[in-house]
Amino acid sequence: MRKRRPAVVLLSSSEEEEGEENEPLKPRSSRSAIAPRKRSRAGASRKASSVSHPKPRRSSRGVKAVKIKIDSGLADFCEGLEDFHMAPENTLSGLQSKEGIQLWVDKYKPHTLEELAVHKKKVEEVKKWIEDRVKAPKEDFGGNRTLLITGKTGVGKSAAIHVIASQIGAVLCEWTTPTPTLWQEHMHNSNLGLRYMSKLDEFENFVEKSRKYSLLHMPNSEGSRKPVILLIDDLPTINGRAALVRLTKCLTALTHSTQVATIVLLTEYCKTESADSPTHHYEELESSLCRVGASKVTFNPITVNSIKRTLFKICQQEGHDVTADLINYIAKSSGGDIRHAITSLQYCCLRPEKCFSWQVSACISSKLESNDSTPVSISSKKEGEDAYDALPLSIGRDETLTLYHALGKFLHNKREITDQSALGSDTILLKDSFLRNPLKMDAPEKILSQANAQGRSITDFLHENVLDFISDEAIDDAWLVISYLCEADCLLANVVCSTYLQTDGIAQSIASSIAARGVLFGNSHPSPSRWHTIRGPKLWQIEQSMGLNKNQMQKESFQRYPYNSSEVSTEYRPRMKWLSSQTSHDAVAQQNQVLYPMKADDHTDSVSSDGLTEESEDEIEDC
Amino acid sequence: MAPMALSSQPWVEKYRPKQVKDVAHQDEVVRVLTNTLETANCPHMLFYGPPGTGKTTTALAIAHQLFGPELYKSRVLELNASDDRGINVVRTKIKDFAAVAVGSGQRQGYPCPPYKIIILDEADSMTEDAQNALRRTMETYSKVTRFFFICNYISRIIEPLASRCAKFRFKPLSDEIMSSRILHICREEGLDLDSEALSTLGSIAQGDLRRAITYLQSAARLFGSSISSKDLISVSGVIPEEVVQAFLAACKSNDFDLADKEVGSIIADGYPVSQMLSQLLEVIVSANDISDEQKARICKRLGEADKCLVDGADEYLQLLNVASHTMRAFSNMPEEFQFE
Amino acid sequence: MLWVDKYRPRTLDKIIVHDEIAQNLKKLVSEQDCPHLLFYGPPGSGKKTLIMALLKQMFGPGAEKVKLENKPWKIDAGSRTIELELTTLSSTHHIELNPSDAGFQDRYIVQEIIKDMAKIRPLDAKGKKGFKVLLLNQVDKLSREAQHSLRRTMEKYSASCRLILCCNSSSRVTEAIRSRCLNVRVNAPTHEQIVKVLEFIAKKESLQLPPGFAARIASQSNRNLRRAILSFETCRVQQYPFTANQAISPLDWEQYVSEIASDIMKEQSPKRLFLVRGKLYELLVNCIPPEIILKKLLSELLKKLDFELKHEVCHWAAYYEHKMRMGQKAIFHIEAFVAKFMSIYKSFLIATFG
Repeated sequence: MRKRRPAVVLLSSSEEEEGEENEPLKPRSSRSAIAPRKRSRAGASRKASSVSHPKPRRSSRGVKAVKIKIDSGLADFCEGLEDFHMAPENTLSGLQSKEGIQLWVDKYKPHTLEELAVHKKKVEEVKKWIEDRVKAPKEDFGGNRTLLITGKTGVGKSAAIHVIASQIGAVLCEWTTPTPTLWQEHMHNSNLGLRYMSKLDEFENFVEKSRKYSLLHMPNSEGSRKPVILLIDDLPTINGRAALVRLTKCLTALTHSTQVATIVLLTEYCKTESADSPTHHYEELESSLCRVGASKVTFNPITVNSIKRTLFKICQQEGHDVTADLINYIAKSSGGDIRHAITSLQYCCLRPEKCFSWQVSACISSKLESNDSTPVSISSKKEGEDAYDALPLSIGRDETLTLYHALGKFLHNKREITDQSALGSDTILLKDSFLRNPLKMDAPEKILSQANAQGRSITDFLHENVLDFISDEAIDDAWLVISYLCEADCLLANVVCSTYLQTDGIAQSIASSIAARGVLFGNSHPSPSRWHTIRGPKLWQIEQSMGLNKNQMQKESFQRYPYNSSEVSTEYRPRMKWLSSQTSHDAVAQQNQVLYPMKADDHTDSVSSDGLTEESEDEIEDC
Repeated sequence: MAPMALSSQPWVEKYRPKQVKDVAHQDEVVRVLTNTLETANCPHMLFYGPPGTGKTTTALAIAHQLFGPELYKSRVLELNASDDRGINVVRTKIKDFAAVAVGSGQRQGYPCPPYKIIILDEADSMTEDAQNALRRTMETYSKVTRFFFICNYISRIIEPLASRCAKFRFKPLSDEIMSSRILHICREEGLDLDSEALSTLGSIAQGDLRRAITYLQSAARLFGSSISSKDLISVSGVIPEEVVQAFLAACKSNDFDLADKEVGSIIADGYPVSQMLSQLLEVIVSANDISDEQKARICKRLGEADKCLVDGADEYLQLLNVASHTMRAFSNMPEEFQFE
Repeated sequence: MLWVDKYRPRTLDKIIVHDEIAQNLKKLVSEQDCPHLLFYGPPGSGKKTLIMALLKQMFGPGAEKVKLENKPWKIDAGSRTIELELTTLSSTHHIELNPSDAGFQDRYIVQEIIKDMAKIRPLDAKGKKGFKVLLLNQVDKLSREAQHSLRRTMEKYSASCRLILCCNSSSRVTEAIRSRCLNVRVNAPTHEQIVKVLEFIAKKESLQLPPGFAARIASQSNRNLRRAILSFETCRVQQYPFTANQAISPLDWEQYVSEIASDIMKEQSPKRLFLVRGKLYELLVNCIPPEIILKKLLSELLKKLDFELKHEVCHWAAYYEHKMRMGQKAIFHIEAFVAKFMSIYKSFLIATFG
């Protein structure tokens, strides 16, 4: 308890901190109903709860390993049930307001190309692109004066641009979005729609001005003045179709007419499966920009090694002695976000003597949003050095897993390679056919809750993709996996019936847990690791076109009076199709053509082509 | 076409005994109840037994004999399964009715005791909550109200309720009694029923007089006044014995394709598979040439298939599965599959 | 007009196959009243034909003047109002609908429509208030609750309306409803009866029918008269004059299923399973009901199997068909059956051939 106190202080940032500590614990169940602004507070008290009562959880450690596995699984599971919202929220805000300390992120901002942790090739690419345009402003690049840089947060997009610009001596003309309003907040606040629009207006004005500006100033600024680069850092938050259309129009116009090099930075948020999220809009925006001729460069997450290098350098300059393990851990857990890694390091170095305990609480604090103060991380702390291995890689950052990540984990089914006989006598004896090596990942329920996945979509996605990951010899495994998916499907079927019940959520979670665990357990002979794309479920398209066909058939079944729809589909239609293909002179055929505009071949074509469009470019994380 | 001509009145209602003493075959019950009638005092009652043995008839007859046609409406509340009998109804409707106090006073030779009667037919389909709620009502208003519970399975009545009642078990009707009732109705309706048809009716009704009368009426509607045993079978939905036997023979032949064909033709003939299963069960259980273990194996499968049918599974597949397992049981093949 | 429709008997007297039932029905309605009726029997056995002829017998030609209506219903179901659209087919004397189209709200529909019907009662010939007939298709697909409420409405509105229920299997209709209806089992016509019908059509169309040809069509039809007539007409278009051993083309989806079956027999691997899934999707898109796919697939597989495997396979088919009912997405369960079959068959092959 005493040990962890600093974490609380650090997190709670403002003057409220004392009050917060004394604040009565909020019941967990109410959490999801709390307005977003209160989130961090609720989170803090929540953490306090987990901090102040570590005892009961720890006590389970005395029991057999298997028992613990189950316990922690259960705990994960419960959290998964509670865990409905995971908003990407800036947990660092607390630190930024801390007076007197300069943020290392700013302090150690890269100033030279060499300092950039971004992959050299990407930097070169961007630099060349900018240089080309800056040096020869009159040359026609096929109208291509816009560069789109995409990448996750903290991969150094803006840093790279700034460094490059200063290298080649160009002036950056910037537009940054006003502080973004949280999506959730917007949802709670009905009149915020207007504010978004006004931001959008602002942006439109800016773009309009910049277009005129460039037109006016470019001719005489040449030579005498420094070249100008227009930088649009993060687009205004948009919600709704109309806003998207406006923004797209605005940007396309910019792309078409701009006379200066224009760089648009697009931050990729975690991709979720829901179609209506703002993310989706960004994807659309991206593709529409590319269509009008913008070049595109994607910055990948920064590699662990380059993060480590940067961190070491900072440590040397600051004169802190931080263990390699810790740096390694921070680098790994940052998920390729160098800004976050540096911030974490700064945290760490505040109280180097309490590094370990701090480390764990850092995990907790940074994971507040995803509820991650699980027994796993707490218990692992006690094991000292081993903690780093036990700590899952993804928890270091305030990040929700993407659905694809979660699927990748389940499908790849990475397991420790251990000798079964070495497990010793305290394991429960199981038949060989039921034995599996320990998982090299979190409890599936935890991953599921991180991915914020709905039971139905998880099951469908797994169903679509799992066969690719089963070794070609193991048809038995395939059956086992699919039989588990069947069970999940049956559970989900009941969910649909009881939409009004509260048990809904539980059934959903259980179903997704069965699906995920079934896939993990059943696939005992994963096919050798290969690169697979994860496809969207083809089933969804099938169902859509099936629904259309069904409607049509229902109508038909009334026109062709005495038949019901299954008779129409199995007996009547095939014959009619056949009859119509054979005779054109027959009256039947003519009637038929009106009635059956869609042939079976059309369906198959449209289905197979549709099936490909959903394919995701997401690479499956191989970890 | 008149909506509800007299001829369409269900014979079950038309020939329902009006007096307790006319109730067929339930001698002990009748004796006790006649006694009750004389003293005009009665406890809460619980009638249980298989369907069609006269439970409802008895309850209604008592009520009628106690109150007569005039007071009947105000003194007797009948509720059966097709009425809504959730806990709310118990709390409101039943309670309101039970709470009203009534005076006594003889009228036209009826005893008219100073209480009301609530008849709860098919009480075993009431939820446990509703039954529990009833318990309080029973206690509170026992001075002015008597409850008659009627059910098939006494085990589904919660113990506190059952223990407050005088229990009467109704036996299945014997063939003779049934025949005499049926023949009586035939005479009244002018039907021609040969002796074969009569015995068929007895066997398909299985001691359920109501069912027998219903079948008889349906057959009379469809086939006119001369009714053969075949007509009765077709009306009742019972599967002819030879079809069941052919199915079993196919299973015994140990030829899968033959069984498949047999199943196919049963389905094509439109016989309801759930009926098939229950008839199979009877045949199997009473067969002498089947070992107990075989019987157990087959019955287990029959039960599973029945459950699946209730869930809406396909009839053909379920029956085929039953056939396959029966076949395996007959030839003493192991229950586990070889290639699982 | 297709032959199936052209030669559909319009009156009870003209019915060839189920003449006995037809005569009985005639007797039934010629009397004063008509009870509730429940027709059950396999598809293509002639339930609908009988019912339509019966309606004509009851109400005269007026019953044939039907109009298709897409009527929105607003139903007050206690706490909320349900709005749904349902297609009905109605004449002045009857209304026909598929209550199962309403999904899990079917029970409200049944009650509401009957109530609605009861309000407007047509006058019969003698000026008395008559009754209307509500024809419900696929009652076996109604939920338990809907069936239960149907039972109550049957009693409540028995003066103003008669129900004619139509379903494939009476197992799924609750005892309570069955016992309140006059049950009419409509068996599938036998091969001989189908041959008779085909010969009748041939005569009307003045076609030469080579000996044995009609019998072949009949035996391929699986005792389904509709299918027999449809394929008879297909054959006519395909080739005339007929020859005795003329090929009778199977239905395209059936052929497709048998292709799937041979795919499965050829190779047993996850890859092949994936391929099979694609083909199953195609069948599903064309609205072939999943249980029919499964049954057809089973029968195709059984054809190719040894005795000992047949038991096992049919067990799993029954198992997964049941699961399919309990579940939501049919493909999962069909695929599980295919996977199980592959797994069994593979170990069978290994056991037999090493």
